[in-house]
This record gives sequence, structure tokens and C-alpha cells, in this order.
Amino acid sequence: MMRSIALALLTVACVCAQEEETAAPAAKPAPQKSAREEAPIDLTGYWTAVVTQDWRWRMVTAKKGDFPGIPLNPEGRKVANAWDPAKDEAGGDQCKAFGAAGIMRMPTRLHITWQDDTTLRIDTDAGTQSRFFHFRGSKIETGGPQWQGASAAQWEFVRTKIPPHMPGPIHGGSLKVVTTHMRPGYLRKNGVPYGANAVMTEYFDVTSEPNGWQSILLTTIIEDPEYLTQSILLNTNFRKLADGSGWSPTPCTAR
Amino acid sequence: MRFLLASFIAVSCAPAFAQLDLSGEWASRYTWDYLERLPGPELGDYLGLPINNAARLKANSWEASTQTIPERQCIPHGSDYLFSRAGFPMRIWTEEDPTQKIIAIRIRSYAWSVERTIWMDGRPHPSKYARHTWQGFSTGQWNGDVLTVTTTHLKWNYIRRNGVPRSDEASVTEHFARHGDYLTLLTYIDDPVYLTEPLLRTSGYVLDPQQQLEPFPCEPVEEVVRPEGAVPHHLPGTNKDIDEFPAKYGLSAATAMGGAETMYPGYAIPPGPKQVGPPRETTAGLEILPVQKNIYMLAGDGGNITLQIGNDGVLLVDTGLAAMSDQALAAIRKFTDKPIHYILNTHVHPDHTGGNEAFGKAGNTITGGDVADDIKGLDKGAAIIAHRSVLDRMSAPDGKQPAAPFGALPTDVYHGKQKDLYFNDEPVVLLHQPAAHTDGDSLVFFRGSDVVSTGDVFVTTSYPVIDLDRGGSIQGVIDALNRIIEITVPAALQEGGTLVVPGHGRICDEADVVEYRDMVTIIRDRIADMLKRGKTLEQVKAARPTEDYDPRYGSSTGFVEAVYRSLSNHR
Repeated sequence: MMRSIALALLTVACVCAQEEETAAPAAKPAPQKSAREEAPIDLTGYWTAVVTQDWRWRMVTAKKGDFPGIPLNPEGRKVANAWDPAKDEAGGDQCKAFGAAGIMRMPTRLHITWQDDTTLRIDTDAGTQSRFFHFRGSKIETGGPQWQGASAAQWEFVRTKIPPHMPGPIHGGSLKVVTTHMRPGYLRKNGVPYGANAVMTEYFDVTSEPNGWQSILLTTIIEDPEYLTQSILLNTNFRKLADGSGWSPTPCTAR
Repeated sequence: MRFLLASFIAVSCAPAFAQLDLSGEWASRYTWDYLERLPGPELGDYLGLPINNAARLKANSWEASTQTIPERQCIPHGSDYLFSRAGFPMRIWTEEDPTQKIIAIRIRSYAWSVERTIWMDGRPHPSKYARHTWQGFSTGQWNGDVLTVTTTHLKWNYIRRNGVPRSDEASVTEHFARHGDYLTLLTYIDDPVYLTEPLLRTSGYVLDPQQQLEPFPCEPVEEVVRPEGAVPHHLPGTNKDIDEFPAKYGLSAATAMGGAETMYPGYAIPPGPKQVGPPRETTAGLEILPVQKNIYMLAGDGGNITLQIGNDGVLLVDTGLAAMSDQALAAIRKFTDKPIHYILNTHVHPDHTGGNEAFGKAGNTITGGDVADDIKGLDKGAAIIAHRSVLDRMSAPDGKQPAAPFGALPTDVYHGKQKDLYFNDEPVVLLHQPAAHTDGDSLVFFRGSDVVSTGDVFVTTSYPVIDLDRGGSIQGVIDALNRIIEITVPAALQEGGTLVVPGHGRICDEADVVEYRDMVTIIRDRIADMLKRGKTLEQVKAARPTEDYDPRYGSSTGFVEAVYRSLSNHR
């Protein structure tokens, strides 16, 4: 049974100088914008995974032992080869593949909203999961490792004092999220494991396509000394939907 | 038990700035997609690709040994595949002008030592008649911290390395995002020929300053001895290899065949826009494009006109439509004031000979020896040279069609295999191709400039037109295409070298002719197989033997009928 996460968000004393213009030395510092206000990109809305690659491992559950390309260490291979979905179901662990390090590779839709001015929330209809990205030096108190872990977020802004050879002033940026304290789960639904000490770093960029589509370009780096011989780099994309008409929450499944 | 998690002050206080310099040595990381990217995809695995039936038929017809054809051995991946799927190590650097403004971003891949240029100086993309290349023509701009690159002018290639095609009509948008030591690429491929909606895919690289890009030489050899002109392929319905993939992984055959509806979670995507053929050329807007050395191409006047320009004057191959003569002549006069001395006709059709009279009058014949320029009839126009069949056809010997105006008729014909000229300091050779598009086709080979002007035995805008009534045949067309391939010599990576001016369409090289030859040969083989099985013309048409190419080349009704009749000798 999932335990609720208690979040205590502390305001951090330091001034985060993320504004683009440098303030005059004598002027009073402007009131700090909230994370929501200073967002350089808009991630809110409904998005869908576009599974054009790795289809055989993402849209269906591959057979046990089918994990080419994953840098598992001997212990990781041992755990993956011992995958038993019936055991997961019996233990109430159907959500092991829907944890933070697995959910973004699922064939899922995302609904991204602002929970409050410093918390960006991602709901997934696959597995009916919720992720919370906390900005501004949040101090997170939780009842224990959870499927979605604890995520610290910050905006990455485009450099404003550009070198002279850069072509003109530019704006924008991306979102960086570091997630820790995840309950051990599966990178792939067929039992490829990640452990309790895994650290996941994600970068979210938003792009526009010639036909009007918008995409989230997600870069994911997973480090897990327990089961991996080296970090994993994953690249995933989501396409923006006009609305939530296709939203279809489904429970976690182990098979 | 409750955990007190670490505070995240370190990541939240200091302003973070995205990086705008992509320079460096980048190494691929293969994880989930290892099997597709390194060993290669399995035959019949089209999972997750938004392809149409034409793409499926082309992929199902693909045989891996086609890559052993010498003309294909050194073909590199297209830029949309090389950097998003193959993901070889690469080096990125910038090229700056003296003021440090970035002119271009260069990318060198380990694979085939391909070097690619992304122009950052705002220059426009080239004319639609310009040559296509494996890497295409790319321009870039920064959108926030993401470099967005637009690429056009790509040659045919594949979107999956098991024969799933990407056409030369595709355009590609790439987004490069760097985060510290990680570089992520999102690729958007829009192919109106083979995709029902754009294909999105991603790949990633890791900074590796110690990386070295080794040389990647490639020299074609004869790997497989096969009959001249043979093109390996599977006839429709005969490729059993593709059945193994879905069976192996417990998937339905339909699922393995891909489609946009298979790419999204849980629901069916409405059908994409109705597939339509590429826009056809119009006669509006004439352009003169440099080909190489002495040779230029005037496009937009029905058939292409090839110009050879030098100190001796102007030589034209074909003269376009009669209705466009004035405009075409004005365009040439704006381009050069040299006199027109020669007109060479590749064949009889009016979209290639229509301007003979007007261009002939505008030019003059070189005279010499015992011929003085006051001899009437010889100083009043450019010489018009063609195979004798062209003169015969234009003279209307069968009485079915009126003769062309006297001034449009060839003034000099040849009867044998070839006719030689020497003009503008280079040999110009007319090579007769019997019974091809017509019975009077000539290829024109400019030896010094290294350019072949083909007439309508090779076009990029449609299936071949086989004029059976004027002595054409499918075998003659294939023979002519193979002749062009014999003549042409590609430069590195099966690109450039001898260039080809087609009867209609853009400037090409050998690889484009190989792709076209393969298409014509495969369709010939399919129809021949049906003929062998006693199929009638209507049955052959109903079987759609050109389905995989129709979105690219348009209506095939006339072509299929001509091939059928040509093979069965029913005129």
C-alpha cells in the first residue's frame, strides 16, 4: 500500500538570480518570481508518448531475460532472470514497472499541471501515477521510499550574457529534475531492476514542429550502483494533445 | 519509519544556464535500442512506424543482398538515419567568420567519414531542381537552448535498416539539446510519399573528449556475380522472411507491419490525410542552374534543356515546349550572350523538340573549309542534330501525324551507335539507345564536364513513359538506364562525380539513376512474373504492381500497360 508523501517546502534564503537582466547595484532586489511565473517553457497540458522505437519492450511486455543493451551487473541479471509477475501480483507490487524510472517509458499519456507555485505535477494514465517536481530548495519529508521517489526541480535558463559570436539574444530554457528515494522497481516491465539508491536525472525540453506539433524531448540519466555497471541514457519524446479527451487511467499491471 | 530526505539547496540556489555550444567529441549510448541500432532490425519489423501500404510493399520487396550491388556498397546512411538511429561517434565544431559570427556548424561522423554542414547564416534552401545528397541541405537556428535544423534535398534512404523506405521528397527537422555532457536529438521526418504522419524519434550522445574518429574507407568490389542489370528483390507475396518476426515475438502479422495507430497508448489514431502524389512540375518559372564545369540546366520548360556554354558558343540539348520558346530563349540570353551553334535532340517528343525552330533561328551554324557563310541555308540557324529516327518521326512518314515545321527538323542525323562532336574544348558524344523511350533516343555525354544529359529515358518526376507507337520498349528503357550507370562514375560515398541531367526533374548523379533503375527493373520483374502466370492486363492492373512507388511517381496506369504490352509484344 502506498504511503502518502508529506512535503515540507522551505523557503531558501539565498536569492536565486534567475532573472535575465542584471539589476542595478543600488536597486532593491525585485520580488522573487515563483517557479511557475519564471518558467521559461510551458510543460502544462496533455501529452502522449509516441512509441516509434523500442516498441517491443514498451508497448508489450517482453519475455523474461529479454534485456539486450541494458548494462546490468551480475546481480542485476540475476534479479531480472528471476522475474515472477505472479509473485509481484501476490505481494501487491503490480506497480514496480510504473515507478519514476520506468513510467516515462511506458505507453502513457501525461497530464502536467501546477500543483502550486513551486510544485509541478505529472499524472500518468498508465498505472494512474503522480509525480511531483519541487522547486526552490524544497526539504522533503516522506514516510519512506515511494514508487515516484522525491524529485527536486529547477529551471535551466538560456545564458543571457552571450559571447559575442552567438547569433543575437535568445531566450528559453529547460527543466532539470533529480529524483531519489525511489522504491525499488523495474526499468522494463519484464523485471529489469533498479534499486533503492538509484538516482535519476531528467531534462525536459519543449520543441515545435513544422506542422504545429509540440513535443517534450526528455533526456533521462539513471545511475544505479546496485544493478548497473554504468549509467543509462534514455531519450523519450511526448507529443502534445489538444485536450484530455483521450485520457484513460488504468491500474498498474504486472504482466 | 520516516525518512528525512536531503535538502536540495545545491540545485536550486544558483541560477542554472543551458549550454549553447554543441562542439566536442560525442559518443553514442545504446541501451534500449541496442538491437535496432547495432546488429540491425529484424526483417519484417516495422513496429511503431507510421508507414503506409506503399512503404510496406517496398520494404517487403527489399532483399538485403541489394546492398552488394557495387553501386550501393558505399552509400552512407542519410543524415536523418545516421545521427538519429545509427548513432556513430561524431565530432561537432563551428565555422566562424572573422567577426566570430557563426557561419556553419559542422558534424563529422565516424561512419563513412561523412561530413555534414548546418548553415547558420540565414541562407535559403536551394531550388527544387538542385541536386539531392545523402546528407541533404541543412540550415539551423537556435530556439532557446535547442538547435533546430531543417534539412531538405535528401536522396532516397531508409527509416529502418530493413528496407523501410524514406523518399527523396522528405524533409527533416532535428532538435539538438545539450545538457552538460549529454546531447539529445529529436528527429522529425515528414515524408508525404511513405508516412501517414511525421515520424518522431530520439537518440542520445555522451561527451567523450578522448574519442578518436578513425578513417572509414570504402571501395566497391564485386561481391556477388550476377547477370548484368539484375536487381535483387522479392516479388510481392513471396517474402517469407518477414513472417518470422511476428511469430518469434508472439505478435500479429498486422501489428508487425506498423502504422500510426500502433504508436500511441491505447487508442486508435484517426486516419491521416489522404495520400496524394507529389506536386507535379509546372511550366511557370524558368530557372538556370549550374550543373558542373561547362554545363547548366534550364528547368521549368516542359522537358529540361541542357546548356553547354564556353568560348565556342552555346550548345543545347533539347529545346523544350514550343509555347515556352520565347521565355526560354530570353532566359538564356540573360544568362549568356554567346551564340547558339548546336541543338541536340534526345528524342522526338514535342516537349523536347518544340523549341527547335525558334532556337535554331536564334543561332547560327559554324561553317568552315569550303563552306562560306554566304551559302544560303547554312548560315541561317544553329545545326540540329539527332538520331535518324527523330527526323523520320518528325517528317511524319506514316501519315498519321503532320510533319513538324521544316525549321524544326534535324539538319544533321546519325545512323549508327554514336556521333561525336568536339565543342567548347570537350568531346560531346551522342549515344543511341535503341527501342527505349522511343526508337530514336540519344544520351548526350559531355566528357570533359563529366555530365550526361539523358532525355526521357531517365526522369525524376514520373514513371518512364514508354512510347510503344514510336518504337519504345521496357527492355530498352532498362538497357538505357544501365548504360547511364555504366557511363557515370561516382565520387566518394557514391555521390557526385559524373552528374546527370534527366529529361524532367532535378539534377542527379549515379545513385539516383540506380534507385530509378531498380524501381523500373523490379516492376518489370513483377509484371513479367504475372504474365508468366497467365494474368491479363486487367488482372495485372488490379494487382497494383507499382503500389510501393505510386505515392512518389503518381499514376502508373500508362506505365503498367506499356510494360505489359511491351513484354507480351502486344502493341
